[in-house]
Amino acid sequence: MSIARAKSVPAPRQTHGAPKLEARGITKFYTRDGNRLLVLQDFSLSVAELEFLVLLGPSGCGKSTLLRIIDGIEPCDAGQIILDGKDVTGTTGAGRGMVFQGFELFPWRTVMGNVAFGLEVAGVGSKERMDIAREYVNLVGLNGFENSYPHELSGGMQQRVGIARALAINPTILMMDEPYGALDVQTRELLQDELLNIWEKQRKTVVFVTHSIEEALYLADRIVVMSPRPGRIEQVIEVPFARPRSDEIKSTPEFLDLRRDIWQSLKKGARV
Amino acid sequence: MMPALQRLALPVLGFAVLLIAWEIAGRIAGPALLAPPSSVAVEYVGLLRQGEMLRELGVSLRQMAVGFIAACVIGMPLGAVMGRSAVADAIFRPWVSMFVVTSTAALIPLFILFLGTGLMLRVTIVFLASVWYITLTTYNGARGISPQQIAVARSFSASPLQIFWKVILPALYPYLLTGARIGIVHAIRAMVLAEMFVIIGYGALMHRSGLSLDTGQLLGLLITLMIVSLFFNWVLGAAGRWLAPWYDLQRVTA
Ligand SMILES: Nc1ncnc2c1ncn2[C@@H]1O[C@H](COP(=O)(O)OP(=O)(O)OP(=O)(O)O)[C@@H](O)[C@H]1O
Ligand SMILES: [Mg+2]
Repeated sequence: MSIARAKSVPAPRQTHGAPKLEARGITKFYTRDGNRLLVLQDFSLSVAELEFLVLLGPSGCGKSTLLRIIDGIEPCDAGQIILDGKDVTGTTGAGRGMVFQGFELFPWRTVMGNVAFGLEVAGVGSKERMDIAREYVNLVGLNGFENSYPHELSGGMQQRVGIARALAINPTILMMDEPYGALDVQTRELLQDELLNIWEKQRKTVVFVTHSIEEALYLADRIVVMSPRPGRIEQVIEVPFARPRSDEIKSTPEFLDLRRDIWQSLKKGARV
Repeated sequence: MMPALQRLALPVLGFAVLLIAWEIAGRIAGPALLAPPSSVAVEYVGLLRQGEMLRELGVSLRQMAVGFIAACVIGMPLGAVMGRSAVADAIFRPWVSMFVVTSTAALIPLFILFLGTGLMLRVTIVFLASVWYITLTTYNGARGISPQQIAVARSFSASPLQIFWKVILPALYPYLLTGARIGIVHAIRAMVLAEMFVIIGYGALMHRSGLSLDTGQLLGLLITLMIVSLFFNWVLGAAGRWLAPWYDLQRVTA
């Protein structure tokens, strides 16, 4: 039944020719205490070049799992990840950068050390990687904190470091796993605007995971609403708002209608 | 938070009360049972002047260092491997759990039979007394390493070797240091214990002053030992804070 529902979803748009990223028939089980937990079943998704795609879904529906599979750090039981037309299933790199749920900075590294991590691992020379890291530290507005340790920073600043760390390797596709989930509303909105600014400047494909309908509508070109576990596509929404967007769109009737619409489809899938 | 003055004054006050109580008790009991601090102080100056105490201490500590360093060299990698590999955990943990609760004193007679009373015995006893604490502390640290942080490294395509050097080792660092700090206290205790059994070195000095009913000297020797233990503990802690400013923020439980 779930497969039939997934198939009823409109074909992904292909405005820029071949899709940048494709997930084809991804199925994922976790085994816990001898029980098999089906997290994703025959999940397919296609992301266009330079698209800002938001995955929206209830807690536990497999959003993080999907991102980790796309990033190549989590194996899947069936299906393929196709990036730029090449099968990259189960491998990392190839232009993928990930911002993790809950920052996940290295506490023993300074801001610079954290941001330079990916370059260091890739063997970029010390001088060059420091220059690049400084550039990204500046981009996310952390100048002056280059030598601070993560525990000396606020949550919002730590998340900026997480974003700079992912951007520093200049990925063509950026995955962001609830980057602002742990932050207060003001900080969250500030960082959303910063992210859109960076995205305008740096032109990247983004796959962004969130719980928040407002955040999804504010950021996305397209929203994929997921059902509760096992995660399936419940609904796909093209977000019509012109860019650059400002706070005002949040009170337009269109915004409110879409919000209600998404809320309904999230509620439909929820088992209370 | 207590005001700074109180934080300083309270321990000093506590110490002073203890000294006064000790002085009174010592004067009543007499020097054969409990020398009062005033006479311990006099004896202590004598011990320092005479030089034997510090000389023996130096020799004993050097031998202790051999056992302790061996314990670090074996215990740290062993604990790390046990914490990261289920197979190694299954093989070694029963042994480590058994040895860690075994009294070192009880092992000494056995090891005298195996090794005689020479250097090897003392080094072995020091090693056995400290290695399990170092192993277990490292083990707990290695088990606690966040899988998420390793995932971050893998996301950046770090090789297993890079993950070891850039994630596992730094994450383990506070535990290595805590293990060493706990280990060295046990090592110093074991050193004296072994020396008292075979009557050599610093332990022999303590043994002799105990037999000669000279509690003043005995207490002086004990105080030196305490200072040495505290000093090493402090040095390792300070080294940690200096080498790793994030260290204080990591709550480490052994
Ligand atoms: N390593 C694991 N072992 C076993 N089960 C897991 C593991 N990781 C995730 N799960 C389970 O898989 C399901 C999906 O997890 P996932 O983290 O992908 O959800 P999510 O959609 O990101 O949720 P949230 O919005 O709360 O972050 C959950 O039920 C979770 O308990
Ligand atoms: Mg998640």
